[in-house]
Amino acid sequence: MTATLTGTPTQTVHDFLAAFAARDVQAAIALVAGDAAITVHPLHVQGAGTDALRAVLDEVVAAFPDLLLTVQRVITTGDVATALVKFEGTQARDYAGVVNQEKHLDLDQAWRFTVTNGRISAISTYWCQQQLYRRLAVKRFDQIAIV
Amino acid sequence: MTTTDTKARTAQTATEVVTEFFDRYRAHDVNGMAELCSINADFSYVPFEMWGKQRVLRGDGKVGTVGKAIWTGLINSFPNLTNSVHTATANDDGDVVVEVSIGGTQQLPWGFVTPAGKHYSEPHLFVFHVDDDLRIDSITAYWDNAGISTQLGHTEVD
Repeated sequence: MTATLTGTPTQTVHDFLAAFAARDVQAAIALVAGDAAITVHPLHVQGAGTDALRAVLDEVVAAFPDLLLTVQRVITTGDVATALVKFEGTQARDYAGVVNQEKHLDLDQAWRFTVTNGRISAISTYWCQQQLYRRLAVKRFDQIAIV
Repeated sequence: MTTTDTKARTAQTATEVVTEFFDRYRAHDVNGMAELCSINADFSYVPFEMWGKQRVLRGDGKVGTVGKAIWTGLINSFPNLTNSVHTATANDDGDVVVEVSIGGTQQLPWGFVTPAGKHYSEPHLFVFHVDDDLRIDSITAYWDNAGISTQLGHTEVD
């Protein structure tokens, strides 16, 4: 099935976030250009293409099966739409090197999307990995996997 | 005769205000930064939280109280603190979104991080709102403190 790409940047981003919130990574990825520039600053992910993004989204969905994604605000500035969101969930498996201790995560994040011809052509994400580690009971940056 | 320059708020003029804000930040002009803001401007540094035994200090409040204190402390701890704006996009409603790298070399303690003379540079995302009088009335920022701490040689989460 081919996605219909006629929306505004705001609508495209809302659709992406709605798909992600529904844990439908495939539907979210369908809104992203194949050569999109992907930067996930806290995870040091940077590259072109959807594979890296798919890996990031898949890991979140798998590690936090009760993921609750709340969109606080979407700010549209030309072809850029910046979403301020909150992630909440309970860790159910290892995530980003962090051993699962079944801790609850709540984390405010900012996702900056560039939308070109109805398709997301760039994503840059910002959150504080220190806050994430703190919520998941990690004590040291150099010993993330040690409980 | 006194004339008043009354520019209308547009995406361009809002961007100019925010650009000036980072110019003044680069010049360590904290009072000048605050002068670009409205008297009661909101301030939220989302990652800023310091966990003590009985309370958590957060970077939420007003520019005049919380913001100026954080900016001043950061400049004291990192005397060569600087910034480099990568992107700035805006709309006619006064929203300005900025991607900027901020960094410096630590000379004094910053939070729980003791100085080891190390340098950091970390990408930040700022969301500003500029009001009809071309004053910043809201600042929200996101970045990764883990990135800063590890660059400075600090290995403990708290």
